[in-house]
Amino acid sequence: MKYKQVQVISGKGDASDRFVQTLRSIAVDGRNRLYAVGDSELKIFDPDGRVQRRWPTSKPGYAVAVAADGSVYVGQAGQVEIFDGEGRLADRWSDAERLGRVTAIGFLGSSVLIGDANDRAIRRYETGGKFLNNIGKNNRMQGFLIPNGVLDFSVDADGIIHAANPGKHRVERYTPEDHLLGHIGRFDGLDPSGFSGCCNPTNVTVVGRNRIYVTEKAEPRAKVYDFQGKLLSVIATVVFDPNCKNMDIAVDTRGRVYVADTVRLEILAFEEDAQP
Amino acid sequence: MKSIKLTWRSVVVLLALVLLGLTLASKAPGQAMHYERPVETAPQPEAIGGGYVTPEVQKPQPRQYWLQVLDVVLLAAAMGISVWLVLSQRSRKWVLALTVACLAYFGFYREGCICPIGSIQNVALALADPGYSIPIVVTAIFFLPLLVALFFGRAFCGGVCPLGAIQELVVLKPVQVPRRLDNALGLLKYVYLALAILLAVKPAISRDFVICRFDPFVGFFRREGFAHMMLFGGGFLVLGMFVGRPYCRYLCPYGGLLSWCTRLAKRGVTITPSTELDCGLCAEACPYGAIEKMRAVRKECFYCARCYAACPRETKSGAAI
Amino acid sequence: MSEEITRRDALGKVVRGTVLLGFAGGAGYLVKKANGQIVWQVDAAKCVNSRLGEVGAQVCTLCTSECVVSQSAVRAVNNFSKCGRCYICPAYYNIKSAVDEKGLPSEKLCPRDAIERKPIGLIDPEDPANNFYEYIIDEEKCDGCGICVKGCKEPLGLGSIVLKVRYNLCVDCNRCAIASACPKDAIAQEQVKEALEIEGAAKPVT
Repeated sequence: MKYKQVQVISGKGDASDRFVQTLRSIAVDGRNRLYAVGDSELKIFDPDGRVQRRWPTSKPGYAVAVAADGSVYVGQAGQVEIFDGEGRLADRWSDAERLGRVTAIGFLGSSVLIGDANDRAIRRYETGGKFLNNIGKNNRMQGFLIPNGVLDFSVDADGIIHAANPGKHRVERYTPEDHLLGHIGRFDGLDPSGFSGCCNPTNVTVVGRNRIYVTEKAEPRAKVYDFQGKLLSVIATVVFDPNCKNMDIAVDTRGRVYVADTVRLEILAFEEDAQP
Repeated sequence: MKSIKLTWRSVVVLLALVLLGLTLASKAPGQAMHYERPVETAPQPEAIGGGYVTPEVQKPQPRQYWLQVLDVVLLAAAMGISVWLVLSQRSRKWVLALTVACLAYFGFYREGCICPIGSIQNVALALADPGYSIPIVVTAIFFLPLLVALFFGRAFCGGVCPLGAIQELVVLKPVQVPRRLDNALGLLKYVYLALAILLAVKPAISRDFVICRFDPFVGFFRREGFAHMMLFGGGFLVLGMFVGRPYCRYLCPYGGLLSWCTRLAKRGVTITPSTELDCGLCAEACPYGAIEKMRAVRKECFYCARCYAACPRETKSGAAI
Repeated sequence: MSEEITRRDALGKVVRGTVLLGFAGGAGYLVKKANGQIVWQVDAAKCVNSRLGEVGAQVCTLCTSECVVSQSAVRAVNNFSKCGRCYICPAYYNIKSAVDEKGLPSEKLCPRDAIERKPIGLIDPEDPANNFYEYIIDEEKCDGCGICVKGCKEPLGLGSIVLKVRYNLCVDCNRCAIASACPKDAIAQEQVKEALEIEGAAKPVT
């Protein structure tokens, strides 16, 4: 499987479609629109890469996710803001004990999963805001090992949570009730199918029932594995700025892969190359 | 003499202007990318658990302050002893002992650093740059020998300065350098002084403390150094066997300052016309050309007391010299 | 004759007095400005081995090779509070080396084996990957070559290891040969108190 770069969206600058200082998280909705948070703003790009809508968030955003009903969840330091599709603030969750720096948000049935990077655990809440349980905290390390400061996870079509555990060089699978089912990945500095460096992969997104997309740092690259841990493709390596870290990754319904370059503040889009 | 000095001075001023122009012309590098890093991503002790406490990073302190003050006190004491030994005791033997002692302490133990010669650069920079300050100890080390020179002459050169001391001990068969050559070469001191100050007062990026860089004897004092440093110093010592104290007489920038202060000194080596024998033995004994036409040239006198030792009329109470 | 001597004497006294006043003024100004001892220190934000944005550069070993004394006083220092305590440290291990049977890289980076790696906190005796590890640099073995500093640099590591001048070893030359040779002018003179601060995690290059 090979991928080719098809588009570069946004970039560094002052224009309305550009980011000034940071680009931290991206997400895709059911209509293949791309949501990106950076600075203290959320931008929505249409499938052609033009900015469709943008609104400010009260604090710099670290995570973004779109629920099935179209509401947009933006994770920030200490709180989660929930907007409707037009940018009106519908709710704000803050929990001094459980919401530190929210670096990932996911949905599972009627619950909302929130990744807390300060406490290194995933919190499961009901849609109304009631806390249900932690995920990933019931182990010797008392959480995920994230020296990079970002906890990322994704929910597959069967409701299994795939969370990146960079300190252990693997992506772990959890049930919503916090049972560790297994993991894929291992450390390897030479073999591209392994995860290199001190803490990789940094970000993960899962599609359907057989695709795990990950990004790494220090020789930044984006890769895709199957659920058994077999490397299917190295999507891209040298096109990213070498100083990138914690590049968020998102995949739309067409299979187009978006990766956020956190230094150049642009989003690169890749598609499978039909040519052999 | 005056005309030579003027020409040298104008050359030096021209050089200075050129250097100034070059340094002003250099610009700072352009903007680079801004990289944002998350905060507090390292695991905290609570996360690590097990009673773990983050260890302190060791912070070894530099040399204690009282030891630095001690160095200044010893410097003052050594100069005082030098004055007393030469002007009062007139003992070549004890001056030699002082020379060896100062070479051992200021030279080999303190490795020749901090020295008043190098401190010219620091003092010049501190006077020129409002943002640069020097410790009080350095100010003291710069001014004390000059103060002594204002009243007694180059007592610092007399066995206290380790660079002088090491050259003093290798004097073997010194030639008497012809007066005109001696004077001409002596001007090099002032050129070196000007160059050293000019290069010292530049901004940090282009600054160069040349006195320290081209110190010939620091390699010996440290008992190690690059080969070219040791060869350079060795060369000076070999030269010093036949020409008395070449660095001190022709290159030392601090010596330039000291000799100017010595012109104002009231006390110092004196040859009394009424009691001197006109035998010339003192002039022959002086390896540094400090006795000319039977009169002491105080600004050249390095307080070595060889003249006293050579004088046939020398007694403790008073003599021709 | 005697008048001339007296006039010369008087002139000498006046000049000497003026010079003394000058000295007093100069010394007074310098003493007032004095702010304690200054020492040489490495600025991690500029050092090639630790500054952000310097990609693909070779390890700079000038800190250890340029010193006029045979063993320079520059050492790699790990700022523990900023260290990730990772199981596989990119400054300790050569992550580009082949993986051994334990799943760890087979080679270490430090040519002098100066880094000690030991587990800390709640130690899991069964699974070593379940522990945090402390990386301690032995300053008697370290010579400031900077290889581990480069390995710890962001984004590969967290930038907690930086090169620092150690004052129990530094001769404190007036002219530092390393400072003159440094290609990024990263070594400058600082007040002792500031110079003793260990930051780690190099500041961004702006």
